[in-house]
Amino acid sequence: MSASAAHSAPHTDTAAIQSATIQTRDWLIAAGAVILALITLYAVFMDNGSLISATGDYLHEFAHDGRHLFGAPCH
Amino acid sequence: MTASPETPPSPNSLTAPRTSTPAASPAAPSPVLALLGRGLAAGSLGGLAAGLFSLLLAEPLMDKAIRAEEARSQAHEQHDAGAAVQHHEELFSRSTQHAGLVIALVVAGLAIGVLFAVAYALVHRRDPRANPWPRALAFCAAAFCAVSLFPALRYPAMPPGVGDSGTVGDRQAMWVAAVVISVLGMFLVWQVYVRLAGRSQPVRQLAAAGTAAAVLALLWALPDNPDPTPVSPTLLWDFRMLSLASHVLMWVVFAAVFGGIGLRALRARAGTEAASTPAV
Repeated sequence: MSASAAHSAPHTDTAAIQSATIQTRDWLIAAGAVILALITLYAVFMDNGSLISATGDYLHEFAHDGRHLFGAPCH
Repeated sequence: MTASPETPPSPNSLTAPRTSTPAASPAAPSPVLALLGRGLAAGSLGGLAAGLFSLLLAEPLMDKAIRAEEARSQAHEQHDAGAAVQHHEELFSRSTQHAGLVIALVVAGLAIGVLFAVAYALVHRRDPRANPWPRALAFCAAAFCAVSLFPALRYPAMPPGVGDSGTVGDRQAMWVAAVVISVLGMFLVWQVYVRLAGRSQPVRQLAAAGTAAAVLALLWALPDNPDPTPVSPTLLWDFRMLSLASHVLMWVVFAAVFGGIGLRALRARAGTEAASTPAV
């Protein structure tokens, strides 16, 4: 009885650790994806030459019509 | 779920993950990765649909607005020594900007798909087995209100040539504030509905609708758009309707793709469960 308990305990531990690891990994990926998505949305709808400053207003002008259509403020 | 109590747990059960590799298991503890893929697919197709729709219907209107803008700025230049010349210098041809419209909306759709998938995972993590189709439709309707409709009611879309570049920073801040208030407000509406679970349907639904109305009213606490709109009312109205229509189209396609992939995943899972049950 005690032997089987001692035998099964490490198994449930590894299972719990595995599932916790998967969850942590998934949420880290999700957090990274959210940050990337926010940067992308900023670049498409808000950047006025500050994000890719070397290229001036290129990003803004390229996405210009999309901004207007989506309702994002533009010049 | 027709299995007798003596049946050992199915491979999908969380108590038996040892036999299958956890990452490949259809019932992996967190469905976030599958949802991210679903969001990317739905977002790119939704953005593409909205982009092609606007390319056909809204671009002629935008070109018209830009010609009107150029005529206005030429008249203005004659008035005061070319102050506006630098600003209206074209970096891209109009046809490049037409392609830019579609690409911008597809890229934005991908980003919105990611945010949607994570929000969907957070909201629905407590009951992962509910039917994904009505759930995707309801979530997309809420997202359409929060991301598209409410901000557009407060700050309606403007055709090219209306905005003043001097106020663009302020207007962007106001617009982002409107989107953030609408999105947080939609979570508040959901929370009101969830926390009144003990009450009758009319009470819950009226309370949720009242909260949505309060959120919408709150948007008018934000300052007004400071810019004048020197275009014809017909063009302004047409442009705003086309903008709203492309938003609606984006969310309809988004909901259909997101819900459809969810249904397929559900059927695949049901298939493996049905296949595993008689074998045991």
